[in-house]
Amino acid sequence: MNTTLFRKLVPVALLGLGFTTACQPDIEDQYPVSKGSADFTRYISVGNSLTAGYSDGGLYLEGQLSSYPNLLAGQFKQAGGGDFNQPLFTEAQSNGSGYLRLVGIVNGSPVTASVTSNLAVRSASPLLYTRYDGPVNNLGVPGIRLADIQTPGYGSTQGNPYFERITPTASATQTYFQRVKAEAATATFFTNWLGNNDVLGYATTGGASTAAASTITNTDTFRLKYNRIVNVLTANGAKGVLATIPDVTTIPFFTTVGPSFKATLQSKQVPGLIVMSGSAAGGAPGYTNRKPITTADIKDAAGTGRQLFTLTAAPFLPLVGTPTGRPWRYIYGQSGQPAIGFPLFLAAYGIDTTKVFGVTNENPIPSAFILDDSEQNAIRTALTSFNTTIRNKAAEKGLALFDANTFFTVVSGGGIVTNNINNTSAYITGNLFSLDGVHPTPRGYAIVANEMIKAINATYGASVPFVNAGNYRGVRFPQ
Amino acid sequence: MNLKTLLLAGGALLSGTAASAGGYQVTLAGIKNNGMGGVGVGLSLDQAAMFYNPGALAMVRERGVQLGGNLTFARNAFVAEGSTTQRELRNSISTPFGLFASFGPAEGKFRAGIAVYTPFGSTLKYAEGWEGRTALTDIDLKSIYVQPTFSYALTEQLSVGVGVTVLAYGAVNLQKDIALPDSYGHIELDGKAKTKVGYNAGVFFKPSSKLSVGISYRSKIDAQVEDGDVTFTGIGAAFASSFKATKFGATLPLPATTSLGLGIMPTEKLTIGADINYVNWSAYRNLEFAFNDVVGPSNFSTSKRYYQDAFTFRLGGQYKVTDKFTARVGGAYDNSPVKNGYVTPETPDADRFSGTVGASYAVNEHFSVDLSTQFVTFQKRSQSQQDLINNQTTDRIAGTYKTNIVIPGLGLNYNF
Repeated sequence: MNTTLFRKLVPVALLGLGFTTACQPDIEDQYPVSKGSADFTRYISVGNSLTAGYSDGGLYLEGQLSSYPNLLAGQFKQAGGGDFNQPLFTEAQSNGSGYLRLVGIVNGSPVTASVTSNLAVRSASPLLYTRYDGPVNNLGVPGIRLADIQTPGYGSTQGNPYFERITPTASATQTYFQRVKAEAATATFFTNWLGNNDVLGYATTGGASTAAASTITNTDTFRLKYNRIVNVLTANGAKGVLATIPDVTTIPFFTTVGPSFKATLQSKQVPGLIVMSGSAAGGAPGYTNRKPITTADIKDAAGTGRQLFTLTAAPFLPLVGTPTGRPWRYIYGQSGQPAIGFPLFLAAYGIDTTKVFGVTNENPIPSAFILDDSEQNAIRTALTSFNTTIRNKAAEKGLALFDANTFFTVVSGGGIVTNNINNTSAYITGNLFSLDGVHPTPRGYAIVANEMIKAINATYGASVPFVNAGNYRGVRFPQ
Repeated sequence: MNLKTLLLAGGALLSGTAASAGGYQVTLAGIKNNGMGGVGVGLSLDQAAMFYNPGALAMVRERGVQLGGNLTFARNAFVAEGSTTQRELRNSISTPFGLFASFGPAEGKFRAGIAVYTPFGSTLKYAEGWEGRTALTDIDLKSIYVQPTFSYALTEQLSVGVGVTVLAYGAVNLQKDIALPDSYGHIELDGKAKTKVGYNAGVFFKPSSKLSVGISYRSKIDAQVEDGDVTFTGIGAAFASSFKATKFGATLPLPATTSLGLGIMPTEKLTIGADINYVNWSAYRNLEFAFNDVVGPSNFSTSKRYYQDAFTFRLGGQYKVTDKFTARVGGAYDNSPVKNGYVTPETPDADRFSGTVGASYAVNEHFSVDLSTQFVTFQKRSQSQQDLINNQTTDRIAGTYKTNIVIPGLGLNYNF
């Protein structure tokens, strides 16, 4: 090549190379963040275990960090939101209350074990957790029902250890309502997802208990208290989100065991079962609380049938057809009564453990293992009323509504795809529900946060960015 | 520089990228043509006519060899739906190339030639941990056609030509992450395509010294991979039983292209060309992989593409400034074959505009050098999760893509 060539062609080449560095497209402003008519300066969250970030049957640090309020607050921060304080367990006590972990899968069945190290237990009896005395924005209290919000001493004398740890010692009998009222005075935005436990406790115990936490809250009581707490939350002009209550009968706690149990019974040509229903003893001679159900009536994966078996029933259902007292020893053990009372318990309920389990009046399937159709109807009636109350209140106050009931119905129908990952309500493999079959995984909470953001954006004309759900895990497997 | 060194230089240039035409087609053959918006079907510039219109080869007086190489600098931005985070590619350079040699008697009516070029390709490496990681993390798609060509001048004004297009080399390397309940694993598919044969034919008509027209057709070839390798990494023991495949098979259509071109030579110094390309992209319906064992729930995967046929419009010209120096300019508009809601990370395609410049310098009677640069800008393209749900294409990612590409090219010509 000669110099003329260089002089004439090199500038053309340099022009080309020069543009290559400048050609990176920039679409960063594709989603201009806006708070719309909302104000995220001080966000508080009101609710129960779901709001606290409870997962895998316990409250622990990782779950707290991926609670939907914490994820929301992280997104709000991009739209002018302030700091969000949670009553976090420390790193040293990061396992909090303890929780379930998956140990392995044996013959297709999951095996779980409790995590008992690095707990934040400061007293075993009464059970108390390490206190948290800092400022709190996440007021989620595991176990709380709407019915409980005005119970004095709910944390202390009534003994909810999660409320106890955040209740100021100077006002130990403060009610949840009083606490919320105090926090709401300075809040600009809130989420409220109370009410699940007003049916959930009844459902997970199969309608078998008369304990207050295991009954369905009176619908009038629910309406009265729901209106009261939302009035307090909005008294200062704060805007927010109300969430409805999902149909608890679609969660893996109730949908995992039945289908395979039904298949087993069908293959053994067992036409039906005898189960107990409700909380009454109903023993001999009339066996008034015994209820025959047909095998065909057990709900399967296709949605055929009505009767639901709980996750807790799983270890005992293979015993159907053999004379055994094991299910009853388990049920009685749950009561915490001294072992000496077991024979009296059996007598009161008319149980004869020498008889064949599951198909006789003398040895039926315990009520706690099954949520039968009549119990489901009671739940459905209450849920409809509760959710009407919530929807009406949102409309009355012009608040955003996360219709969790509708959302989880869609999820249990076919699942929800996020970033090419399918998430369903299948136990363990569905990504959304944790090992307790009731509470979401971090992925599940991220998706819930996004659904709330959708509602916020729609109602308040905001553009809050979404959480990348793909960054959060489903069920953790043993390594 | 002699023929041998030119051929050796060609060996170093083995790659392609979705650069200058819709989908994963690459219209980068002939650095002169590149400088003129990629026109060439209605022109008889040089040996690269074998690519654009084999019918024109007989009208190319010079016999010789031409080697052209391009560097594609693709820059892509992606923002997931409802996200404020922009993702950018891990930048890579690919090198589409063309080698064209023609032979024949100086005054005879025919020309024979051989062409080697890269008609289809795509090279993209996405950012670590990007939102679409389970759809794609890396793709490297290559194809090399070898095309023996024969062209014959029926009259002084009309010539025809035909070439046998041999898919001499085709390779695909496709990688993505696998969503496990608590982590991400990774899968790599790597395979070579079987050798396949198609054809390229054209007619060239030059009724006057100021006008020429051409039409050409390049047939479809199905690039078919059998016994490609499947490699998993990062799959925990708990999930190993769900990911056992070791081999895969897949077919990717390299679609037929029909082109119509016009050349206008108002003066001796000025040449203007205009082309229309029509690509039968609708041949690409689904991307299907068959595995010899399970990959997740199944040993088969299918993903909707549903491409539509697409046009490209090109316009360009050259001006002979001096006997030794020629300047070129051009532009093109590519109509994307990818329908709304069907955009995949492999081909984050959109309608494109290209601007090109180029120049040639004749060192002496036998040897000349060509330079070209193309600037390709894709229109910003968005698809929402709702679009994907409506199309049942949720195996890809909702969000907005934008791509720019700059392609400098260098060509060396030796005539004898």
